[in-house]
Amino acid sequence: MSNRNWVPSTALGVVLAVVLLLPVFAAAQAPSATAAKATPSSTAGKPAAQPASAAKPAAIPRTADGHPDLHGYYNFLTVTPLQRPAKYGNREFLTPQETKDVFEKGLQSAYEPRDGDEEHYGNELFNPNSVDYDPTTFGLSPWQNGIKPNPRTSLVVDPPDGRIPPLTEAAKAAQAARGRQQAPAVAETANLAGSRAGTPVEGQGYVVDDHNGNGVVHADVPLDLGYGTTCVSPGGGAPIFPGEYNADMYILQTPNNVVIQGVNGYRVIPIDGRPALGGSFKEQWHGSGVGHWEGDTLVVETTNFHQGNAYRGANPKTLKITERFTRISPETIEYKFTIDDPSTWTRPWSVILPLSAENGPLFEFACTEDDYDAVNILAGARAFEKKAQEKAKEKGVPISQK
Amino acid sequence: MRSRTREMQAALVVCAAALLALAIKPAAGQAPAASGAKAPATSAAAAKPATPGQFPPYRAPRTADGKPDFNGIWQAFVNADIDIQDHDAQAGPHPDVMGAYDQWPGGQGIVEGGEIPYKPEALAQKKANAAKRMVVNVTSDDHRHDTGDPELKCYMPGVPRANYMPFPFQIVQGPDRILIAYEYARSLRTIYLDANEKAIPQKSPADTWMGWSHGHFEGDTLVVDSTGFVPYTWFDRAGDYHSDALHVVERYTQVSPYHIMYEATIEDPNVFTRPWKMSFPLYRRMEKNIQLVDFNCTEFVLDLVYGQYSKYPNKK
Repeated sequence: MSNRNWVPSTALGVVLAVVLLLPVFAAAQAPSATAAKATPSSTAGKPAAQPASAAKPAAIPRTADGHPDLHGYYNFLTVTPLQRPAKYGNREFLTPQETKDVFEKGLQSAYEPRDGDEEHYGNELFNPNSVDYDPTTFGLSPWQNGIKPNPRTSLVVDPPDGRIPPLTEAAKAAQAARGRQQAPAVAETANLAGSRAGTPVEGQGYVVDDHNGNGVVHADVPLDLGYGTTCVSPGGGAPIFPGEYNADMYILQTPNNVVIQGVNGYRVIPIDGRPALGGSFKEQWHGSGVGHWEGDTLVVETTNFHQGNAYRGANPKTLKITERFTRISPETIEYKFTIDDPSTWTRPWSVILPLSAENGPLFEFACTEDDYDAVNILAGARAFEKKAQEKAKEKGVPISQK
Repeated sequence: MRSRTREMQAALVVCAAALLALAIKPAAGQAPAASGAKAPATSAAAAKPATPGQFPPYRAPRTADGKPDFNGIWQAFVNADIDIQDHDAQAGPHPDVMGAYDQWPGGQGIVEGGEIPYKPEALAQKKANAAKRMVVNVTSDDHRHDTGDPELKCYMPGVPRANYMPFPFQIVQGPDRILIAYEYARSLRTIYLDANEKAIPQKSPADTWMGWSHGHFEGDTLVVDSTGFVPYTWFDRAGDYHSDALHVVERYTQVSPYHIMYEATIEDPNVFTRPWKMSFPLYRRMEKNIQLVDFNCTEFVLDLVYGQYSKYPNKK
């Protein structure tokens, strides 16, 4: 009998032994999560050594503990409207030509009078109520402000029609009541030709835009101006969403915490498993938030909002915001947030907002320290009232002190 | 016939040895003991009593990039915010209403050598500051910050006062920078770690309340160099102050798992005749789920700060 193809049993045994032992030695040498030896400096952009089981694309930079590296400066200014214009129906994406057209039209419209067109009005970049800023004065060229084209038809991606779901009946009633409370002079001024937000109306109380979309407020005491103008409400909370400017941020990431830093405020989110601040805390301006990794996505969940800081007038007690950060390229993080408040909207809804890498630094925002608005608006209201009183004295007409 | 039996037996022995080796993992390959694991079997001698001012030799744990790890929530337990020099306890501003709630505790100073080397005219300014510390006159012109302790108005405390306010702060340390998040007024400092933040300008593009800081490591010590300050912060409620020429060099040295020995060298040729130092320990907050809790004092000072422009100026 020929033995040419016979493999010595001893050799087979040795091979078998080596194969069986190999995983033991390999596991023994893998760094333990709790006591990693010092490794050479791993700066952002360098993929760290990975266990063989985690096969991830090499283009995504990772930190030493294996997670995608999210740190850096980002801009989230956009000309994409929050809600999908009706003409797109259920279409989620534009064609490349449409993307270019929408982007250019969006930028150009910043330099033109606002015409109330829904496509512009729904665009968060352009606030038709703003009396502060001429858009041409604060740099809307893309190279200055970092806006990138976005192939989506809308920022809202769920529900599938790209529109925010309807309010619940309870929420409609609550918002109407709030509106009446805050704008008692609306009925008095609505029929005055030429009247618009920002114009003092003689003898009718002081008409001023409080930048919170309310249009008409009194300016009797500081808090009449709202939490924003008085610098009480800090920025940087959930969700990340652009206004006309200051749509810049920085993310700092460590194994135990992620800091989400906006221009005028920041959050420190624990991601080491410690519980969020409990429900007895009612006055935390950024609510109670904790995060964790789900694969390559950082998930941050926030509840227990402050009554002065609940997104779009939601119920701070029942609102839950879930944010997902996924790095999809070295230049972009896909940021998705889900708004879930069954007492305000009839169903949850979600937004995808790209965060685009940009150069820093961010500058300090000394809001409280340099709040000239609060002094000037209040002092202006007092000067206006005094003038009205003097005029009335001249004419011998008493003026209402309401 | 070739005898396969002996060879098979040899193979079986080798396999058995392999299986045995699998069962007994080499001790050297085991993960180092996590906290809470059993201590080595050597006898544990009783610890030596702690002596204030002395620490046994200590090397701090390292971050993944090999630097001493300062991550954590820390707090000072001096009351230098009231007065950075030695001071007795004193009644607060309204004992008739607040009683002991508002009484200010006494404390030993944090100024090395005890004396703050003011220029004579600057010492007069300090005393004027102290006399008017609770006067509020916030205007909308260049005199906005002329009068009163900024702490009273919930303004950012500046450096190094933020480190000895009676509130915790959180150090979050990345490879490129360190952020210090202060519970007091949600103030924030960014310390750029020069080794990796080459794109950041050396000098501040605009003056700030919390300074423009660059940091590097010397052994177990974090050294932070800060300039670019606005001249509006005070060092304490006693009127100690600085100009926009302020230059602060801080040294944070971990001396135990629970302590940082902190010192800050103050240099300001407009106000002081020479550099001088403050120093005190920082303590790690050890509560299990410790987190910062908002102290957003702006809301509660609105009537104080803007009351003179209110429609009801006497309303308090």
